[in-house]
Amino acid sequence: MTEKVRDNIKKILLGQLEYRSSNLALNMLITKLKRKIQSDPGSMDQCMKEIAEFSEKSPIIAKVDFANIAAL
Amino acid sequence: MLISLEETVKLIKSGSILHIAGDNSLLEKLPKGNWIGGTTPYFITDEGGVMTKDKLFVTELDFAEEMRTASYGKYNVFQIVEECFENGLTLLIMPYGSKVVEKYAKESPEVEELLMHPTVGWIAGAELGTDDEIRVYDGVSGESYNDRAVVMYLRLPDNKTALVNMINIFQDDKTDPVITFSDNELSVTKCRVNGQEVNFAEYIKRKKIDTRMPLVADYNGSYINTSIKTAGEDTIDLYAPVFKGVEYRFARPVDDYVTEFAERIGSLRADAPVVSFNCILNYLYGGLEGRKIDTYCGPVSFGEVAYQLINQTLVYFEIS
Repeated sequence: MTEKVRDNIKKILLGQLEYRSSNLALNMLITKLKRKIQSDPGSMDQCMKEIAEFSEKSPIIAKVDFANIAAL
Repeated sequence: MLISLEETVKLIKSGSILHIAGDNSLLEKLPKGNWIGGTTPYFITDEGGVMTKDKLFVTELDFAEEMRTASYGKYNVFQIVEECFENGLTLLIMPYGSKVVEKYAKESPEVEELLMHPTVGWIAGAELGTDDEIRVYDGVSGESYNDRAVVMYLRLPDNKTALVNMINIFQDDKTDPVITFSDNELSVTKCRVNGQEVNFAEYIKRKKIDTRMPLVADYNGSYINTSIKTAGEDTIDLYAPVFKGVEYRFARPVDDYVTEFAERIGSLRADAPVVSFNCILNYLYGGLEGRKIDTYCGPVSFGEVAYQLINQTLVYFEIS
């Protein structure tokens, strides 16, 4: 995950950027993590770990989505 | 494919890995083998929606390199995230009305790692208005259950991946009031409408809301439905829970379900769904009997699992 992707994902989770995936699991994960951060603003690092884990376990999905997120 | 009991037995005996749906009177006659199954007499076939107790809907899962099955109760159903294959698909069938469904419905959205593993499935049921038995089957062990989930773990080749997706013909109207709930609930008395606490049943009655339309929540562009089971004087019972902190609106009415499905399917980039699970409420409210939904064939379900339990949706998976 590049710095640009990391930064943009943080912005997505904070609601500062909008990104909608065509992948159901990623959309569910983003929604879940956004809610987590809303209720606990200090959980960003934990949320980023979950995103990293998702990308490791779903590399094909992550490749497409991360390219799109980098271009935001 | 919708086939006879004899043809199904032949496939089982050939050693094929199978997913089977049908009436309990047929499922209970099947021999042990590499299969899991669940009860429903409703199907979406190439010829259209059909209700039959004389045939079984059988799907060959020949993409899998390895398979194993298991069953779980409400206390251990989330072991599925630990016991699945690293690159695989988890196929889950649960009996309608069981405690394991309730547990799964309420807690799955918060289960660590569930979204990391493609997980798809359906809720087994029976002919509406009858006392026909609702059961799920583990063909490997030869056991069947009305209170446990059966799971088939499928290992995929390294160059393949499973994609779980859904087609939802319902959408909200962003100008409608936002409805929120204070807890994860299957039975609701109070809710907040645009922040103001009201009795949910009274609100529905006062606004003359068509309760055949589901509540819709926008999950980052993926619309997740929650359907109303019964609207009482004071309480609303749901087929899947609403969740605390999620914003809901009622779906806009749908004129013609088949037309809506056709439009959504046309805009998808799905290659070839292996099997799909379409909700009994779509079958009923949309009059799907005898009407075709191209390529998205499979059992009609009493709840769909796309990672979490959802309603009034067509869920499918593909291997690419």
